[in-house]
Amino acid sequence: MSQDESGRSAAKTALAASLNRRSLLKGASLAAGSMAVGGGLLASTASGARAQGRTEITFASAKFYAKKTIAQIVDAYNESQTKIHVKYIELPPPSSSTEVHQALVQQLARRNGAPDVFTQDVVWIAEFAGAGWALPLDEYFPAAARAEYFPGLIDACTYQGKLTALPWIVDGGMLFYRKDLLEGIGAKVPETWADMTTIAMELQKSGKVDFGYLWQGKQAEVLVCDAVSVIGSNNGSILAADGKSATIGNDQAVEAIQFLYDTINKSKISPADVLSWDEEPSRLPFTGGKAAFLRNWSYVYGIAQDKSASSVVDKVGVAPLPHFAGGKSASCLGGYQYGVNASTKNREAAVEFLTWMSSPATQLRFAIDLGLAPTRPAVYDEAELAKEQPFMQTLQSVFTGATPRPVTPKYAQVSLALQSGLSRGLVSGDIKKELTATASKIDAILGA
Amino acid sequence: MSLQQTATAIAGPRKGAGNSFRWQFLTPWLLLLPAFLSLASVSVYPILNGLWLSFTNTSLITQEHDFVGFANYRLLWVDDLFWNAWWHTITFTAVSTLAETLLGLAIALLLFEHFAFRGVVRAAMLVPWAMPTVVTSKMFGWLFDGQHGLINYLLKSAGIISENVNWLGSVDNALWTIIFADVWKTTPFMALLLLAGLHTIPKSLIEAARMDGARSLATFWYVRLPMLLPTLLIAGLFRALDAFRVFDLVYVLTGGGPADSTETLSTLNYKTLFSTLQFGYGSAISTAMFITEAMIALGFCIFLYERLRRQK
Repeated sequence: MSQDESGRSAAKTALAASLNRRSLLKGASLAAGSMAVGGGLLASTASGARAQGRTEITFASAKFYAKKTIAQIVDAYNESQTKIHVKYIELPPPSSSTEVHQALVQQLARRNGAPDVFTQDVVWIAEFAGAGWALPLDEYFPAAARAEYFPGLIDACTYQGKLTALPWIVDGGMLFYRKDLLEGIGAKVPETWADMTTIAMELQKSGKVDFGYLWQGKQAEVLVCDAVSVIGSNNGSILAADGKSATIGNDQAVEAIQFLYDTINKSKISPADVLSWDEEPSRLPFTGGKAAFLRNWSYVYGIAQDKSASSVVDKVGVAPLPHFAGGKSASCLGGYQYGVNASTKNREAAVEFLTWMSSPATQLRFAIDLGLAPTRPAVYDEAELAKEQPFMQTLQSVFTGATPRPVTPKYAQVSLALQSGLSRGLVSGDIKKELTATASKIDAILGA
Repeated sequence: MSLQQTATAIAGPRKGAGNSFRWQFLTPWLLLLPAFLSLASVSVYPILNGLWLSFTNTSLITQEHDFVGFANYRLLWVDDLFWNAWWHTITFTAVSTLAETLLGLAIALLLFEHFAFRGVVRAAMLVPWAMPTVVTSKMFGWLFDGQHGLINYLLKSAGIISENVNWLGSVDNALWTIIFADVWKTTPFMALLLLAGLHTIPKSLIEAARMDGARSLATFWYVRLPMLLPTLLIAGLFRALDAFRVFDLVYVLTGGGPADSTETLSTLNYKTLFSTLQFGYGSAISTAMFITEAMIALGFCIFLYERLRRQK
């Protein structure tokens, strides 16, 4: 008997045995089968078997990962209780934001209840709510529960007075500065744009840095974020509070954008190249030690502390972005938030899962295992977070003042009009004219 | 079963001459039907559906889907952003096609001659064209970066410029930088097409010209160029239609900015269709692109036809 034949006959015997004692061995052979295919399958088969009798819901989210994945957090939830089983659908990563958006819109527009729970970029909340795809969550999360999150985030999750999303993770624009250079000239961390300009000019003049302040002026979404921060820090706004008309032609907004224009053309603390830079090109000179200040997202800190990529290790500090005299710091709010499908057939299960996902304990896990910043201020006081993510803990002050981008169901169109108008203003220098024109364009979009 | 019977069985029963004629007439069409249906489903249907969408206000966000007649086209007619992108696209297409054709011709003439390692050079020349455009775009992004780009460094070292040039962040330079990147990338393609064209010119003609005492320039001008003209026109047509759809370079390098100075029809259309999900208006832009491209192709074809007719 050859080896091949012996193997085949052994398999035959095993098959016969399992057929004879089918009912008894059903579970075992299932497990053995999946073990043969691979460990990953085993896990899913096992949890699938245990899911019988549970309420099955689906959860779709953009892909985030670090030490752990979202799938592992979802698995942990499935393990933790016996009533609900969550199936995780992975969407592309947030860098492919357009694709994630498309996938969600196509699913939600079918109104068939799938996915039951999803995560969304903060700028889609109004769109999904306006289309009636997002379930209002006020009854499940009353005012007292909402007070446990950063106020700016609850604003971003609220559309026409209803809470239609629940905060998950937060990011925001912040000011990176060179601790060593500021100490060198005895300057304090600037709180106003004027102070920052003075320090930046001084450092640039003394030749310690090539650039005083770096920001992002590329005609892209990031330009809107930069604009929200300066306009917000001058008590201005892009849209009126009701979201039905544009206010970007107002003096506060014009003055704020004029400041950005002046950083290139008057105080010259920024190179004209910022007009073509998004996040990474603007980050490079800073971590290369050539700039004093940088506006960017929290990811920069990790790179700045990486010896192989940065020449400013341990020399970088983070502070809330400066503001105009009489205003207050306005970080542009980023991050992803939870939503519940309005056509879900398992509303109670969805809300229960959501409550667990947004709980302080789970947020702590997301922070430590995936490096995603919590949306509850209380989590920042946890000792474990201080130990594992000391930098994240310092961001609480940044996120406290976070300001949402314009809240409107037509955000995508408004954003494109803003990108075009802001870029035109920053190039031509005729800020008032360009912003007024942009305001009337936005009014037309909102009115249509 | 005899051969005759088999043939009858395949062709079906023959009841009369008329019936047989009908089958003879129908069989080719029936055989073509599957090919036609599959082509229609992937090519004709999407075009017609796109055309239909351009007459609706379909938007995934507002969930509207109503017939609105020519409303989208009326909007398009007065939309500054559209005409702005239209002009950029035409400029990009004309300049890059012309530059690529001339440079490609020069390279083709060079590579046509015999010299050592000609095969290696011919293969190496194709490298830029073989690279994915997104990779090229990223590469040019770093090369032409205003502050830490290699181009500014080299130009400064050579003493050609004294201040860094803002290649991508200035409205005066950005479109030209993108055209430069495209010329670098696609000239090899033109060179290859024209090289193939050069090989089709009979050697006897060149030899005859030489015997008549024509020098290189005269041989080129009176023999090679006229013979190459149809190839030039067809290559130019391909290139122009391809250049008209430019997307990757703009999307990666500038995103359409600064101040919309590099927005092209493809990037504008992508933003309208996929970022704002306005399928109706986006389809109107697509249709306008289609019409413009058809006009470009028609122009080339008329020229080519005239040329061929005169030759006869």
